[in-house]
Amino acid sequence: MAEFAMSGVGRRVFFRQGTVLKGVVLALLIALIVLPLIRTVLFTLEPETIGAWTDVLASRLSRNLLYKPLANTLLIGAVVATACVLIGGFLAWLVVMTNVPFRKTIGVMATLPFMIPSFAAALAWGTLFRNDRIGGQIGALQGVGLDIPDWLAWGMVPTLIVLTLHYFSLAFTIIAAALATVNSDLIEAAQIAGAKGARIFFGIVLPVTTPALVAAASLCFAGAVSNFATPAILGLPVRMQTLSTRLFGMIEVGQTARGYVIGILLVLISAAFLWGGNRIVAGRRSYTTITGKGGRAKRFDLRAMRWPLFAVAMAILSAATAIPVLVLTLSSFARSSADLFSNWTLHFWLGASNPSIAQGTPGITHNPEIVRALFVTLGLGAATAVAGMAIGLLAAYTVARYREGILSAAIAQISFLPLLIPGIAFGAAYIAYLGAPIGPFPALYGTFILLVIAATAYLLPFAVQTGRAVIQQVGGELEESARITGASFIRRLAEITVPLALRGLVAGGILIFVKIVRDLSLVVLLFTPTMPVLSVLAYRYASEGFGQFANAIAVVILFVSIGASLVASRLQSKSQPWLAA
Amino acid sequence: MRPFSAAYAIALGALIATPAIAGSELDAKMPADLLPMAKDEATVTVYSFTSRIKKVETAFEEAYPEIDLQGFDISSTEQIARLKAEAQAGVANADVVYISDTPVVLTELLEAGIITPYVPPRVADRVPDQYKSPLLAQRLSTKVLMYNEEANPDGAPVSNLWELTTPDWKGRVVMVDPLQRGDYLDLMTEIVLQSDAMAAAYEAHFGSDIDLGGAANAGEKFIADLFANDVILVKSTDDVNVAVGKLGQENPPIGFTSYSDRRDNEEEGWALQVANDVKPAPGIIFPAILALAKDAKHPAAARLVIDFLMGDESKTGGPGLKPFYVAGDYVTRTDIPPHPDAVPLDAFTAWRLQPAETAKIRAAVGDLILTLQ
Repeated sequence: MAEFAMSGVGRRVFFRQGTVLKGVVLALLIALIVLPLIRTVLFTLEPETIGAWTDVLASRLSRNLLYKPLANTLLIGAVVATACVLIGGFLAWLVVMTNVPFRKTIGVMATLPFMIPSFAAALAWGTLFRNDRIGGQIGALQGVGLDIPDWLAWGMVPTLIVLTLHYFSLAFTIIAAALATVNSDLIEAAQIAGAKGARIFFGIVLPVTTPALVAAASLCFAGAVSNFATPAILGLPVRMQTLSTRLFGMIEVGQTARGYVIGILLVLISAAFLWGGNRIVAGRRSYTTITGKGGRAKRFDLRAMRWPLFAVAMAILSAATAIPVLVLTLSSFARSSADLFSNWTLHFWLGASNPSIAQGTPGITHNPEIVRALFVTLGLGAATAVAGMAIGLLAAYTVARYREGILSAAIAQISFLPLLIPGIAFGAAYIAYLGAPIGPFPALYGTFILLVIAATAYLLPFAVQTGRAVIQQVGGELEESARITGASFIRRLAEITVPLALRGLVAGGILIFVKIVRDLSLVVLLFTPTMPVLSVLAYRYASEGFGQFANAIAVVILFVSIGASLVASRLQSKSQPWLAA
Repeated sequence: MRPFSAAYAIALGALIATPAIAGSELDAKMPADLLPMAKDEATVTVYSFTSRIKKVETAFEEAYPEIDLQGFDISSTEQIARLKAEAQAGVANADVVYISDTPVVLTELLEAGIITPYVPPRVADRVPDQYKSPLLAQRLSTKVLMYNEEANPDGAPVSNLWELTTPDWKGRVVMVDPLQRGDYLDLMTEIVLQSDAMAAAYEAHFGSDIDLGGAANAGEKFIADLFANDVILVKSTDDVNVAVGKLGQENPPIGFTSYSDRRDNEEEGWALQVANDVKPAPGIIFPAILALAKDAKHPAAARLVIDFLMGDESKTGGPGLKPFYVAGDYVTRTDIPPHPDAVPLDAFTAWRLQPAETAKIRAAVGDLILTLQ
């Protein structure tokens, strides 16, 4: 009897419920996320490559390889994060706390800019503001006779503006969610005590929402410092480098070790800020903002400022959404980007090869490379969505059902690691990881599989977060009772969890699809000519001066991603702010 | 045991030798014999450093409708990085490599066994030895100083490279970023290798001995001064061409680009002309290489493409050479007459690239440019 009990305990220790499952999931995550990073670091420590560290950190090259790009990167991060919190916060305040007209419209439009890929926004900027500094086509504004100065056409200022217009909707989503939870009792109490608007704002609203502001700022910061497309398109012509463009440039010309070192430093910087932001937020989580009783406070009456503030909001929002979409679409029909409104042609869409236009490059529907890229891109999106949701669901299920233990904690931590890694650095790590054969496995360089694996790993945080949300919606007791009646793990997952969570899973899958279809930073290094994806083709056309082709491709991506996003948001009953990250 | 070992050795020998025999057998075949095999292969992939591959693609598929040529326009620098990565991964995406950047190609692709030479037997007797070995050069290409002849009807606005470092040309010299395009890094490297000529030209222009400052030699000093004078770096030669050549400019910039891009003047509305008389030289002239990828998946079609690109038996080489039979490109075949509109090769003052010498200091010049950016 005692012996039986002992062995029972022993079984429980070594084969406690879910240990096998946890082990499998953890191994998967390590293979997808941890090993690429380790492989990259190890690559830079080999005898023939270790010199790259000195080259980058302390040589006559360091200033241009690291310190100037680093200074630009940090400046971009700081300014964009500040501007995003101000604009996002302003719009969130308008929508949640005031009686501004068309509140709902503003609320919906403020979440849209994130659906527009940042490279599309950068292309749109170039189409409008490009001046004659580097020759080639001039932009529409110069075309109508305005003299666009260099600082407005190229470099830091446009990069800051484009990135702010891209990331502020992230800040909006986070801050609006936080403002919505501000307890109206607090504000009413203050109003009864005779406090004025400013006093209420600084005394109550601001302190209560500080964690959200910090979170928004650190996410915008991390996004801005790791963005590749915008500084590459708008900064390189005036030799403005950031860490991500430097990393790209070094790997493109075969100076791989130097590129990896810059990539490792970029990961450290981005991670440090996110971690720091998280620490501040974590330390202040003690506010109780949601209580049983609080009702909605009376909206702050803007009085005469209602319409002026509405106009300001709409100006910001249309600059971030309607204008770029319009400019890209128009320019894809315009023979010259200097003149968007006349001399239209369908050549860039439908034309056959014509030697006098763009070296005989045919319109995008006649271009086998672009058609192939469309299929590769859509296939990549679909495969990544399926693989991502499968792994995300598995990881989320494991963590939700077997909460205790080091393994679960490790799964939770590792699955969020990619959030800290800029896409371009992640792409570089995957070249180091799967660019050469590992044991019996062939190298995956240039294959579709490599793109899918890297994209799945890169987007795992979103997949796991979605998976967690849907699992929490499915009550544990259903699954418990199935287990008691002897259903296996696979059967329980297939017949209970997945069917009940299908809506959420599909919505999550679509968002992953959208994220990868419009991504440039991850795929730009994994791209090979024989396995093309749309965003990289658009980038390459743009850098060859074939702006209209680039813009036409960007329009295709835009419509695919906006269409899919709308489907996803219809499937989702409640808003899930983290998905916007 | 002895007979067995002998047989084994023979078998092993045969096994090792088979691919080589197959390769050299293909190497000896004329296009008519390659064609049936190439048709079976049905497709062929070309990495090309020039956008003219699109025209070659059309012409090739007209000549051989059964074979699908997939041409990719990839800069030499990027080709080298990709071919190395692909070789490391054990995948062979490309069949034919059409590339410049000879200094790097020789060491990092040919010596590393990533590409192999091939000279089509049909034209072998009409290509000088220096252009057949170690790799086949289809033509000589250039990166030279070009100006806008519409705005400067009396000839080049500069007569000495050092003028480009003076205030008159601040922010008005255009070239492709030498760290992104190997041809331009070769140009910069050649300027360093030609430091004696650069020093003499300095004296001829300014009338005084050159003060090197912190620079190691006159070539490095020139590069540093050029960058200090706000040289505009763009991404592709077409960007240079438009900036320099576009018609209707009052005060156009000057820039380093391919002499042969003058061919597009009419089509694109440019007025590009070479500054051949500039001292000490307008730039460099270098071979454009055609080679096979080592493990080409379509070996017969690949050889057929190279044969096609060397031109047919008509007077100016037919459709295969047509995109390259232009003023400013110097076809290596001796039986093709020089293009009538171009400066004859022997009167062309550009420096001839010396791949081995360039390879020695190229990386150091690249690092120098990195510090100047």
